[in-house]
Amino acid sequence: MTFDEAQGYVVLATLIAPLAAMLILFFVPGEQKTAVRYISLFFATLMLGASVYIFVAYQFEGPAFSVEGHGIQMEFKRAWVENTAFLGPGGITLRLGVDGISALLVLLTGVVAFAGTLVSWKLDYRTKDFFLLFWMLVAGVYGTFFSLDLFFWFFFYELAVVPLYLLIGVWGSTRKEYGAMKLTLMLVGGSALVWIGIFAVFNEAGLGTFDMPTLWAAGANGTLSPEFQKTFFPFMVIGCGVLAALWPLHTWSPDGHMSAPTAVSMVHAGVLMKLGAFGIIRLGIQLMPDGADYWMPALMVLGTVGAVYGAVAALTQRDFKLISGYSSVSHMGYVLMGLATMNSIGITGAVLQMFSHGVMTALVFLLIGALYDQAHTRDLKDFGGIGKVMPMWVVFYSIAGLANVGLPALSGFTAEFHIFVGTFKTYPLFGGLAIFAAALAAAYMLRMFAIVFFGPFNPRWSSLKDMTPHEYMAGALLIGSMVVMGVWWAPFTDRVAATVTLLPGMTS
Amino acid sequence: MNPEYSWLLAAIPAAMFFVIAFAGRYLPRGGDYLGVAATGASFVLFFALLPDFLDVFDAEAHVLAVAGSIEWSTIGDFELRMGVFVDPVTVVMFAVVTTVALMVNIFSIGYMKGEPRYYWFFAVLQLFVASMLMLVMADNLLLLYISWELVGVCSFLLIGFYWEKRSATEAAKKAFITTRVGDVGLLIGILVFWKETNTFNIQEIIHMAEGGQISETYLFVGSICMFLGAMGKSAQVPFHVWLPDAMEGPTPVSALIHAATMVVAGVYLTARMLPVFAVADHMLLIITIVGLTTALLTSAIAFAQTDIKKVLAYSTVGKLGLMFVALGSGSVTAAMFLLMTHAFVKALLFLGSGSVILGTHHNQEMDKLGGIWKKMPITGTTFFVATLALAGLPPLAMFWSEDELFAAAKDEWGLWALALAMLAVFATGIFMVRLFIRTFTGQPRDPHVYEHTRETPAVMTGPLVFLCVLSVLSGLVVFHGVGTALGFPGGISEFVFQHEPHRYEIDWALAIPSVLVALAGVAIGAFVYWGNDLRRSTALANAQPRAYDLIRNKFYFDEAYQYVIDRGVLGFSYLTSWFDRYVVNDTGVNGSAEVTGYAGSVLKLFQTGRLPNYAMAIAVGVIGLALAGLWLRG
Repeated sequence: MTFDEAQGYVVLATLIAPLAAMLILFFVPGEQKTAVRYISLFFATLMLGASVYIFVAYQFEGPAFSVEGHGIQMEFKRAWVENTAFLGPGGITLRLGVDGISALLVLLTGVVAFAGTLVSWKLDYRTKDFFLLFWMLVAGVYGTFFSLDLFFWFFFYELAVVPLYLLIGVWGSTRKEYGAMKLTLMLVGGSALVWIGIFAVFNEAGLGTFDMPTLWAAGANGTLSPEFQKTFFPFMVIGCGVLAALWPLHTWSPDGHMSAPTAVSMVHAGVLMKLGAFGIIRLGIQLMPDGADYWMPALMVLGTVGAVYGAVAALTQRDFKLISGYSSVSHMGYVLMGLATMNSIGITGAVLQMFSHGVMTALVFLLIGALYDQAHTRDLKDFGGIGKVMPMWVVFYSIAGLANVGLPALSGFTAEFHIFVGTFKTYPLFGGLAIFAAALAAAYMLRMFAIVFFGPFNPRWSSLKDMTPHEYMAGALLIGSMVVMGVWWAPFTDRVAATVTLLPGMTS
Repeated sequence: MNPEYSWLLAAIPAAMFFVIAFAGRYLPRGGDYLGVAATGASFVLFFALLPDFLDVFDAEAHVLAVAGSIEWSTIGDFELRMGVFVDPVTVVMFAVVTTVALMVNIFSIGYMKGEPRYYWFFAVLQLFVASMLMLVMADNLLLLYISWELVGVCSFLLIGFYWEKRSATEAAKKAFITTRVGDVGLLIGILVFWKETNTFNIQEIIHMAEGGQISETYLFVGSICMFLGAMGKSAQVPFHVWLPDAMEGPTPVSALIHAATMVVAGVYLTARMLPVFAVADHMLLIITIVGLTTALLTSAIAFAQTDIKKVLAYSTVGKLGLMFVALGSGSVTAAMFLLMTHAFVKALLFLGSGSVILGTHHNQEMDKLGGIWKKMPITGTTFFVATLALAGLPPLAMFWSEDELFAAAKDEWGLWALALAMLAVFATGIFMVRLFIRTFTGQPRDPHVYEHTRETPAVMTGPLVFLCVLSVLSGLVVFHGVGTALGFPGGISEFVFQHEPHRYEIDWALAIPSVLVALAGVAIGAFVYWGNDLRRSTALANAQPRAYDLIRNKFYFDEAYQYVIDRGVLGFSYLTSWFDRYVVNDTGVNGSAEVTGYAGSVLKLFQTGRLPNYAMAIAVGVIGLALAGLWLRG
């Protein structure tokens, strides 16, 4: 076995880890909550380690980086079904691997899943079932990032969406049935569009295979005709866009976040929303470059509307989670803008923003959860001067909030700066609007700081406790990631840009 | 030390920020000595760096700066570099920032004693010093913007230091958001220039702008946007509203951030970019008008303030306006000279007011002070000197710099600009003397306060004396002889200049009126308020009640902004939320769900479960299909 094959097994092991955790948890009695937690933590640590390894070991230059191979490395490939019925050679393959984009998102998944496990430490209701579904969700996310086969890509994509319904419906709060139902229906609706798009591509290409790189080549060389691409590109982008909170299909996001339990909000806003944007790259830009060329200005408009709209709506919200929900709409709007620039700076910025928004939102939801568990209210106006009883909580939240605002030295700035530069290159006016929305972010964040953290102390909250050690560790991990990307971003841009510059139709 | 290593000046306080922030609470005295050591190290390093810089500096051979940079990141051909650029403007800023920062650090040991979160104060102070030094040595606009935002957030944290007070929190929020609005302009401006030049490097942008490689429209749009950022940071009208409120922060912070260093970042940026602004249409005139408007408007407001720190804040805004007038007149020399002397004088005034506040047990209302010179001799005397220096009396520091400013304004714009600038200086004399008289002389207004007033300890008066010496002497660097004696190539105009060095000569035709104007201001102030007697001023206020009302209420800027925010911005936000809730969600999302549900409820009626119905349907279907088939076949 060569070194490269061995690395393929690392990728496979990372995907199997959450499934193995599920399998083991099946045989642990539900009353053994501590055992459930420690088993989960063990696997979460494994996944974090493997994710860090995959990110660091990814070669963005030198002989290992293959331009013809789309920058894909650490491949694992096993035929699944082929040469039967409508499938030709290499019909459905379990083909896993990472490129620079997915390497960063895999790292994000590892970090957020680990933090989510720590935060769920005090979850006491049906702990085993919770973790079973949680690991199913994580397996789906990893699978989507790793898969290089349309069939498996979609399989894992759905695997990630389905457990959400139960996770929110059972462990959620605040109109959880409504939130869970709306979220699931909207996401599944989006999936239906994607599924139609996938079959249309399979049929049009006529190669009898779901293999992504083969189909990417078909998209680039005209096997998928430009007219076909123009027709079916919206299916992919709207379908995936639902998950990326594409305006006006974003309303599941504020409500879903409001209802979801802490760890689910973290993974959901932190990672799952990125699946949508990732899908736009994989199934949109890479698969249908002509369609992308034609439709991207429209995506730019929708992205900008989302960015401004989310920020404006967040200004007057009174529920913590609604502020974060709308701010997510705004930040995912930036991601869509970055993708729509179709130049390497903007798209690199968009991928950085996926990571940045992921860790930042995960931290925000972690902190909201830490407060809500004790206070049982999320109305801003109920609070005041919380800094007196929860000083570390306030420090952590302030850092997350400032990253949200785009403060330099934190990841939000690095990402947004690249998006702004990319947008300015092609659409200066939209770039200006996006920068304006970033100023609104300062307004809604500081408004919340002023109401909740500072000012006269409301004695009703004198019994509040600061963060638990588990929350503290999880928060420190997330803040560490934000600071590294904020200060020394070359390791991130190098990996992402190496792949992004290979995307079809890219201007420099 | 090679000037290329000047990043060390910022690195040391930055490292100390982390040390104090994480370990400060466990250290004796919160690690305040670490803060003093860090800024002290920067101060010493500056003096190690200066001779090496002066060795390299050669005005005749046009060797004016030292630069060095490293690659930071690359995306395709989009390369970002980070580096330092040290030229005379940077050197002046280094001198100002390290000196004032050191003094403020020492002073704070006394002033902040016993405050909660003592260590946190020193930690953020170090972060601020590091960011500010980084700002003035950045060789590119990206690093400048990064530091620009970091000093902004330090300002936010320090204004809101007493966050239990609602007013402090609100002031911090206001400061951050107001400057952030300007920063939108700054970032847009930076990106406009990047779009045109493909670089963030300031010198390259200047080079291309001077070579006419940037189209006129973009040059103007980029310049005006960047200048908006400068206006926000330097609190120029109409962004000036945040600075007086920022006085909610601890007084040493007001001295360091809101008088001597951060608020001059806008002046620094404009000075740095002046070669670019100078080739943009009408840009210099715009800068001059903004500066003059600010100087006059805020001087008027300062007449009616009774809080010591607010008077000083409005005077700061006014002097920043004068610095912009100097820049608008194309004189980097005058602007940087004014910046330096003002920094020392105003830091002294703020630290002096801090000393008063501590000495009188947290009293900063003139209406309760008076007659405390006897009780606080050192504070009183240094404050007296600083008052006269700020009023522009010779031979104190600011006289010389304002003289440079007057000369530049007259040369560039003629008499109207000169007259307006002199009017601002004249007004300064009046309200500064008012401030001094009402605080330190005459009968005590509140005997209880007076009784408990004590002089502050040496850790606070020491910095006052040091800054007082600078306030007296620092203006003399204008002379060739003084400059050469200090190792510089000559006076400040032979060191800091935009095109050509020139040697300073006293122009009596300008100096005499300027002395007279300053004297007149001081004399009128003294006449009106002599002996802390308010009869004359009250009579004056009653004679013009509407005018008094206007300045008393700061020209209603705050009220107007509040109205726009409440009715405009928040109204729009409520509208958007309503739209999102009822149109997008309840109509669009829930509506489609309800339509589906309704369709289901209609369709379910077809599922009757009765055999005859189904048989009937089958029959109809079969006949229908048969007919269709026949019809299709023809």
